[in-house]
Amino acid sequence: MSSDNTTQTSRRAFVTLAGAGGIAGLSGCVGFGGNGDGGDGGSNGGDGTDGETGGNDTPDTITFGQPASLSGQWDFLQPGISQATDAAVNHVNEAGGPLDAELEVARRDTAVDPQEARTVATQLVENDDVAAIIGLFSSEINPLWDFLQDLSTPVVTPWPGSTFLDTRGGDKGTPEDMSDDEWVWRTVVGDTVHTSGSAAFAIEEGLDTLGVINGTTEGERSYVDGFVSAYEANGGSVAERVEVELGASSYQSALSRLFEADFDAFLMSLPQESAITALSDWSDGGYGRQPILSDTLTSQAVIDQVGSDLNGAWGATPGQSGPNYDTFEEIYSEAGDADINAWTPPAWDAVQVTALAIERAGEATPEAIQQNLGPVSSGEGTEVSTFAEGKEALANGEAINYQGAATPVNFTQHGNVFGTVSINTAQDGEFTQTSEVSAADVREFVEEGQY
Amino acid sequence: MGLLQNIIFGVITGSYIAIAAIGFTLIYGIVNMINFAYGEYLTLGAFIGFFAATTFPLPLPVAVLVAMAGGGVVSLVLARAFFTPINQTGPVPLLLTSIGLGIALRNAIRLVAGREARYYDTATTTFRFDSIPDLSVGSVDLLGGFFVTSEQLIVVGSAVTVFVAIHGLLTRTDVGIAMRAMGDDESLARVRGIDTQLIRDSVWVLAGILAGLSGVLLAIQTNVNATTGFSQILQILSAAILGGAGSPYGAILGAYLIGIVLALSTAFLPSGMSGLSSAIAFGILILVLLVKPSGIAGTEVREA
Repeated sequence: MSSDNTTQTSRRAFVTLAGAGGIAGLSGCVGFGGNGDGGDGGSNGGDGTDGETGGNDTPDTITFGQPASLSGQWDFLQPGISQATDAAVNHVNEAGGPLDAELEVARRDTAVDPQEARTVATQLVENDDVAAIIGLFSSEINPLWDFLQDLSTPVVTPWPGSTFLDTRGGDKGTPEDMSDDEWVWRTVVGDTVHTSGSAAFAIEEGLDTLGVINGTTEGERSYVDGFVSAYEANGGSVAERVEVELGASSYQSALSRLFEADFDAFLMSLPQESAITALSDWSDGGYGRQPILSDTLTSQAVIDQVGSDLNGAWGATPGQSGPNYDTFEEIYSEAGDADINAWTPPAWDAVQVTALAIERAGEATPEAIQQNLGPVSSGEGTEVSTFAEGKEALANGEAINYQGAATPVNFTQHGNVFGTVSINTAQDGEFTQTSEVSAADVREFVEEGQY
Repeated sequence: MGLLQNIIFGVITGSYIAIAAIGFTLIYGIVNMINFAYGEYLTLGAFIGFFAATTFPLPLPVAVLVAMAGGGVVSLVLARAFFTPINQTGPVPLLLTSIGLGIALRNAIRLVAGREARYYDTATTTFRFDSIPDLSVGSVDLLGGFFVTSEQLIVVGSAVTVFVAIHGLLTRTDVGIAMRAMGDDESLARVRGIDTQLIRDSVWVLAGILAGLSGVLLAIQTNVNATTGFSQILQILSAAILGGAGSPYGAILGAYLIGIVLALSTAFLPSGMSGLSSAIAFGILILVLLVKPSGIAGTEVREA
């Protein structure tokens, strides 16, 4: 029989300590992101190659690192990115590989957690000896910015939309001068671009006043800030904005507050699971009005769970129709059955352009890749759609300009790309593309040098 | 919408919290431990109910009963495996063990079930009462039209049923009376011939049943994933402590207070602060504990 002589400690003190400690501890578990403010982040990680053959400095293998969302709230997007990455790597290898070496991918899960991402990035560079990193989300890059600069390994990522990166990253238009370089490049259009396209479309549709409901994380705030900035710059006005905590059992109070205001449409920017709860509450409450969804919410799961009340809702996503989308789609579809999402073609582009940078550089060091990402993607040169074409052109001594699957991949001085913006509308149980805003139109909303 | 509608929202949120908080506080009052793994009990209940509803498939009410039974069994097995062997070590080792167990369970669920969210297939009917007249005081409308959904009514109805059942159990049955006796003084209960280990086991089963019910109700409103219960544990813990840890009646009061404060702070805080509703609720928890450290119910179950 158990004894109960275990209550020598003051019960009151115990309750107070346990309660306060538990709340503090669990609050930490819930996570507010890491500060990631530095540390030396390790060395530059070697040259990303293994097993040099003989005296010609040609490696046997070259490894790209991929921090991945294999778990966490964005894991539903990862299968397409993994498939696109693997398909691109196979395609590069079938074309002979960069520097005639075998290209490999080391993939590690970060769960889109900044602290985990810091550990994974360090492991990829220190243990896996990668030449470049193909991945990382806004929520990981932004708090780890200084760390990633100290890591001194190119991060070529299909994920981040954050406006934080609008003027950060790239080679500043001076590939030979690395003193002003920042080690992040993105092959997906930033939030500034597609929120501008989305805001422009809303104004065109006569939706002049807006209500906003968004989560409190960096990604959601960034998306909404970008949208609202472009929306207000074009004559729209925001009637009410409500921020909500994620993972709540109900969003009725927030919706009730939001819909007391007078507006034409409401913008929702939440992670998918919270958004489904909120949109189901919206449907149950019969609040009506025009829903505008953030890019990640134009997914089948959302429309499946919310149902027909969502008909007519639309959201803008980075366009999936770069100059060579068809080439990508054909190879991708043979590699597996994962759905294509807005970040899938950019993942293909990230591998292609980084492999071409190695091919042009003649070596697979992080510095060489950093210096050649700009030259193979923008400016004058033979336009190539794949690594195979680029390798051949480079062998002929030609300058090249990679034209991608998602966008033309003409990196700006800050390592960003422009592209079309797709408007996807919920109709009859699925999202279909109903309109498109051209890259040229979107450029008008973005100030020169600010992206 | 007015104050009345937001109070209704708060009552609904409070009902979710209250069912789980009763189980949580019973464990505290009788087993004398704060069980941080309790959120995972909710998650397991949600999964059991989901698989019962989709695999066999059973009607939802039957799946709820399966989840409650499964929750009771899981709770007892986990208690026997991890907590009963260290009963004598005191509340702090039990607390730390429960934190570790919670982390292990959460990750085990994620490994086995994946991170993908699953959804119960339910239909909801909305009932509107738009003819209620406004009663404005300043900028706040105290009454006004409101709506409730069938789902919300089921949650509140389930909570009320649980309250009545728990009250009946604690006041009208031998097991319930033995639980109260053991909560007051375990040694005295033992010398009076109460099998305290049996009562502990009964509490674990009861807490598991409540976790199973709460998990399914929560999952119907949101989804089933590895963090379904964990995301609610702070509110459950706060409701239990706010009401007076160890007191089921206090936990009910605490749960509704937290639910209503969450709803009202979301509705009436300035725009830039609307995301801080949980912080406001916890601020009230701290305030109450400073003024009345034993919680709202104000009765210590067992003298330390």
